[in-house]
Amino acid sequence: MSWERVCDPSALPVGKGIAAWVAGRAVAIFNLGQQGVFALDNRDPASGVSLLARGQICELAGELYVCSPLYKQHYRLTTGECLEEPQLSAEKVAVRIDETGVWLAGA
Amino acid sequence: MSNFESKPKLVVVGNGMVGHNFVEQLCEQGLQQHLDVLVIGAEKRVAYDRVQLSSYFNGAALDDLAMTTAEQYAEWGVSLKLGATVVGIDNDAKSLLLADGTRESYDKLVLATGSYGFVPPINGRDREGCMVYRTTDDLLAIEAAAKNAKTGVVIGGGLLGLEAANALKLLGLKTHVVEFAPQLMPVQLDAKAGALLKAKIAALGVEIHTSKVTQEIVDGETGRLRLKFADGELLDTDMLVFSAGIRPYDNLSDSCALEKGARGGYAVDNFCQTTVADVYAIGECASWQDRIFGLVAPGYQMAKVALGHIVHSLEIAEKHHGDFLGADMSTKLKLMGVDVAAIGNSRGSEDSRFVELMDEPAGIYKKLWLNDEGNVITGALLVGDTSDYGTLLNLYLSGHKIEGSAAALLLSGDAPALPKSNNDLICSCHQVSRGSILKAVADGAASLGDIKRCTKAASGCGGCSASVQKVINEGLSAQGVEVSKALCSHFEYSRQELFHLCQVEGIKDFATLLAKHGKSHVHGVGCNTCQPAAASIFASLYNGHVLSDSRDQLQDTNDAFLGNLQKDGTYSVVPRIAGGEITPDKLIAIGEVAKRYDLYTKITGGQRIDLFGAKLSELPEIWEQLIAAGFETGHAYGKSLRTVKSCVGSTWCRYGVQNSVGMAIELENRYKGLRSPHKLKMAVSGCTRECAEAQGKDIGVIATDKGWNLYVCGNGGMKPRHADLFASDLNDAELVELIDKVLMFYVRTADKLQRTSVWLESLDGGLDYLKQVILEDSLGIGDELLSQMQAVVDSYQCEWKTSVETPELRARFSEFVNPQAAPTAAALPYQRVRGQRIPAINLTPAAEEETL
Repeated sequence: MSWERVCDPSALPVGKGIAAWVAGRAVAIFNLGQQGVFALDNRDPASGVSLLARGQICELAGELYVCSPLYKQHYRLTTGECLEEPQLSAEKVAVRIDETGVWLAGA
Repeated sequence: MSNFESKPKLVVVGNGMVGHNFVEQLCEQGLQQHLDVLVIGAEKRVAYDRVQLSSYFNGAALDDLAMTTAEQYAEWGVSLKLGATVVGIDNDAKSLLLADGTRESYDKLVLATGSYGFVPPINGRDREGCMVYRTTDDLLAIEAAAKNAKTGVVIGGGLLGLEAANALKLLGLKTHVVEFAPQLMPVQLDAKAGALLKAKIAALGVEIHTSKVTQEIVDGETGRLRLKFADGELLDTDMLVFSAGIRPYDNLSDSCALEKGARGGYAVDNFCQTTVADVYAIGECASWQDRIFGLVAPGYQMAKVALGHIVHSLEIAEKHHGDFLGADMSTKLKLMGVDVAAIGNSRGSEDSRFVELMDEPAGIYKKLWLNDEGNVITGALLVGDTSDYGTLLNLYLSGHKIEGSAAALLLSGDAPALPKSNNDLICSCHQVSRGSILKAVADGAASLGDIKRCTKAASGCGGCSASVQKVINEGLSAQGVEVSKALCSHFEYSRQELFHLCQVEGIKDFATLLAKHGKSHVHGVGCNTCQPAAASIFASLYNGHVLSDSRDQLQDTNDAFLGNLQKDGTYSVVPRIAGGEITPDKLIAIGEVAKRYDLYTKITGGQRIDLFGAKLSELPEIWEQLIAAGFETGHAYGKSLRTVKSCVGSTWCRYGVQNSVGMAIELENRYKGLRSPHKLKMAVSGCTRECAEAQGKDIGVIATDKGWNLYVCGNGGMKPRHADLFASDLNDAELVELIDKVLMFYVRTADKLQRTSVWLESLDGGLDYLKQVILEDSLGIGDELLSQMQAVVDSYQCEWKTSVETPELRARFSEFVNPQAAPTAAALPYQRVRGQRIPAINLTPAAEEETL
């Protein structure tokens, strides 16, 4: 696995998602400050549309989720699992932040 | 007892949860008229809820933790001496020696001194940055130390250690937990449950180090302190909290003949009497049959027993209150958001029978220990799902035989339903049964708060709150009372209640609202139900920009990007065309923008034009051009006023009796930007022929030859409802005043996403009640409603104009942090149908959002 630098750490807004291109695909990065930084494939598995980065961050039963803007399924930030439809799952992407930048796992 | 004799003097040493409970029980029985009561506490604060300490870091104030006030003690006539430490007992003279050299006499003495945090004898444990987690003073010290720290270590992976770790995490520290045993919570959990708990807590970003023996604390390199473990590993940290168990405060035994139990603590008998006459010990400083009970529930039982014995021995009461015969140590709690419960002998023994369930993907582990016949529960362990705790605890406590398979009890919901009995114990801390709660409800208690006050249920560890609420709801339903629905799992309040709380307390942001009025949570972010509801409330109350002050994160899909999200991930753009009136130049401007961005164009049912297919990053440019052409946002994305539809009215129509277009434009410009519980639609018809279909709108206005008739709370769409006639023959000013009041009353009192039609039907008294409030001002809030609406009208801004002009807001519409890295191929294909562009893909059919 190779790491690709996508931006400066300061380019990530806090408390919400933003998308980044890496190896030709869009990845949603969620910078939740003290709760950590998470990354999922930006593609919403329920609709096939690339927009998970635009979802709301939710806490349900103590776990963090992103709520898909289209049909409101919840995907767990740590694993990509879908709360409502277990057969769906957003692909988890490895993300790392250090002083040199925000890095995503490439192809 | 004659009046000339002075009252016997009772001294309670310790003002913790148990000491306070003793005093409370005493005063509630009115016994202070027979006794002189003095309470001596070493801490400077009156009794507070030690169980909930970490809620302080979740936003609770120290005063929120208080279980009582000094004023309450004064009202009871109980003397209170805080910040005073007892250092000796002279039982022959019946007198106490205090640290400041003064003495206090007593006739009966109750020791409720509690316990202190145990600090293992490790070299370096006294270094700066090493602390304990037991009192509010400790909280403040930890908070102060955390300001200059990035990392924190908790030594101790038991219940209290994990509480302390939660506190450090809430303070924003990178948190480590160091446990001596090979697993977390070794006292309550077995290895499997411990491992699952570890995985769950580790997933929250807390690092767990088990089987680690700390040998020494020295200067660190990447942190101020360094822990050296027996296995040679090192861990650097900026601060360290010891939470490795508690030890009873039992140092008064040196000054008299108080005997101690094998594990410390003042030895007591079944009446909580120590080995010294007239001296009692209760709570964590007492040792009964060499056992110490480190939970509040047994402490409260001891308080009851000791009090009963004291008043009986003083001949104030005839009967004493029974014996203390040990206590059930079952417990259910949420540790860093993870549900954990232990019942009875939760660790079982090697040769005991058991059934267990490990649902690894769901993160649930349950184990029931059984008797030799396999049909009676002797203990249980639950991790990840404690919803059956009450059922299992009752089965354990009652010793009932399990009907059918014990394994069936492991599956929530599938468990055989137990007949509900009034003897079922709901709150184990205060020993409150289902029957007591139902009786309180029958006597008028209706809320959790009421029940806490009159039965004490749910005021101990709080773990039974949900069960208590369920019983309250049962009781209320039995009375035919409709049970109010909480907003979501984060708020027990309805939208209306939250609106009032925000208004009264001036709350303007979600974090404050959640901290002050929310339920238990870990991350403090809420969900997609409460976030938009809060955003709508803030907008109705303060009307700032919906995307400013971090409120963008609260907005639902459409509000979040000021556009209507379509099924392919693009947005539609709807400029406001008030009253449906538009100049040819403006029509041309819309056409030009649509052509430039290849937007699919359609006339809506609300007399305006919808432009589909705009990419997120194109929105600011598109709006810049529309604004330059004189347009403003149409709020098609908002729970707010959409359009005021009109017929052409008296300006052109042969039959029109009033200027309906003019009135529609006036109303649309007045209420545009008002955020409401749901979308609002209006219409104005110029005569009784009703061409604008005003009776199908939230607010409908129909011209008469004398003025205007006002109709309210109609609806088209899924559940059509004809609007009701509210007032007749109004002049322009009267009409606007009534609409102001009706709308603001709706905004203040409706539930989330409740249209006016449903709201009216939900009002007790319906239309007549609404008329009383608005037309007769029966609540006396008419002027307030008007001024609130005027404030909203005066603070209107075009959200799109502000968004394109403000760089921080505009940046929100940049979809990618690295747009330069985008692949060249278009992501989604389109096709052209009837000369316009539409998505070629056939995606999941959407519940089409109306975008009038």
